Amino acid sequence: MTIRALTQVSTGRNGVGAFVLQCKKLEFHYCDWAGSSKGMNIFIKTLLPKFAAEHPQIEFNVSPRPAKHPVVTGHYINGRQKPICVRNLEPTAILQKVKLLRDASGEKLKRVHKPVTSINPSVRGVWSPYHGNGMAV
Amino acid sequence: MSRALLRSVLELRTPVTRLPPSFLLPMRSTPARFFNQTTQIIEPAQTADADAIHATLTAARQQLAKQQQQQQQQQPQSTPKKPRLPTEPSLPTPTGPVSESVRTLLPILAAQPGHYITIHIHGQPYLVTEGDSVRLPFKMPGVEPGDVLRLDCAAAIGSRDFTLQGAPYVDGRLFECRAIVTGTEAEPMRVLIKKKRRCRRKTHIRSKHKYTIMRISELKIRSDVSDL
Repeated sequence: MTIRALTQVSTGRNGVGAFVLQCKKLEFHYCDWAGSSKGMNIFIKTLLPKFAAEHPQIEFNVSPRPAKHPVVTGHYINGRQKPICVRNLEPTAILQKVKLLRDASGEKLKRVHKPVTSINPSVRGVWSPYHGNGMAV
Repeated sequence: MSRALLRSVLELRTPVTRLPPSFLLPMRSTPARFFNQTTQIIEPAQTADADAIHATLTAARQQLAKQQQQQQQQQPQSTPKKPRLPTEPSLPTPTGPVSESVRTLLPILAAQPGHYITIHIHGQPYLVTEGDSVRLPFKMPGVEPGDVLRLDCAAAIGSRDFTLQGAPYVDGRLFECRAIVTGTEAEPMRVLIKKKRRCRRKTHIRSKHKYTIMRISELKIRSDVSDL
């Protein structure tokens, strides 16, 4: 007899009931010496404390990475990561990138053609030619 | 080599002042500084309720109107700039009594198990049920993940056997539909190559659109319309 895996009982739908932000951790890497980190260093000193205070649900990690370009990495609940290189960027431009990472779901970018995705069964059922009163020809 | 060195040393000894001292310079006429008053951008609160947004919007609008009046009094000849605040949508808010057929049939519609609703956002219809995810074809300005939006512009509400069709929209008091903003996503980079005949030049035009994702968190249809 083969072993059967447990079938999934329910699918998570974020926002129905509780809402959980998908970005769980943001990592900031900077270099004290390099010029490409100039904006990043100002961002960490000025804009980051306020942003971090506004988002208690995200873990913030700031660590040096000498002789490398500055990088912001977002870690998501689905296990994926999104790194963005922010070399030579202004502090406000870095804030835009950080907001992008916060708003992202962590999924790979896809082209979607239909606006509504649903896992609910159809409300009105599926039309069938063999049921109902039929149509007079 | 040595001559160049010598020249540089000489230059160092006698520093070249390219500009005469500042008191000898002609007086620069400082242009008159205009005081540009910009409107305050009011962002919605973290748990943006529709009423709260409405209240803040109206308050901001009143403040803006006051400011404009003051500006006009101060400088009547200058034309005031158009404010960039969002305008209040023209919503279907009928205050009259609901019709008799709605009064009798809406409780039956509400009693049936599943419901769908055709909400209109920027005039575009989205047929959704509770728990659906909607990817709007634009990035909604001023919203953050976790914001709750009240959707009160619906063209139709329905269950398995009944449909309440609005003309053009359903009375906003009959239902309650809320969506929670779950984030902003983007599409893969689009690259459009432009090329003309008999010319080797190619232009790559890149674009990457952003979309707001929201989930229908609540859809309630009033079963009791006796007080309307």
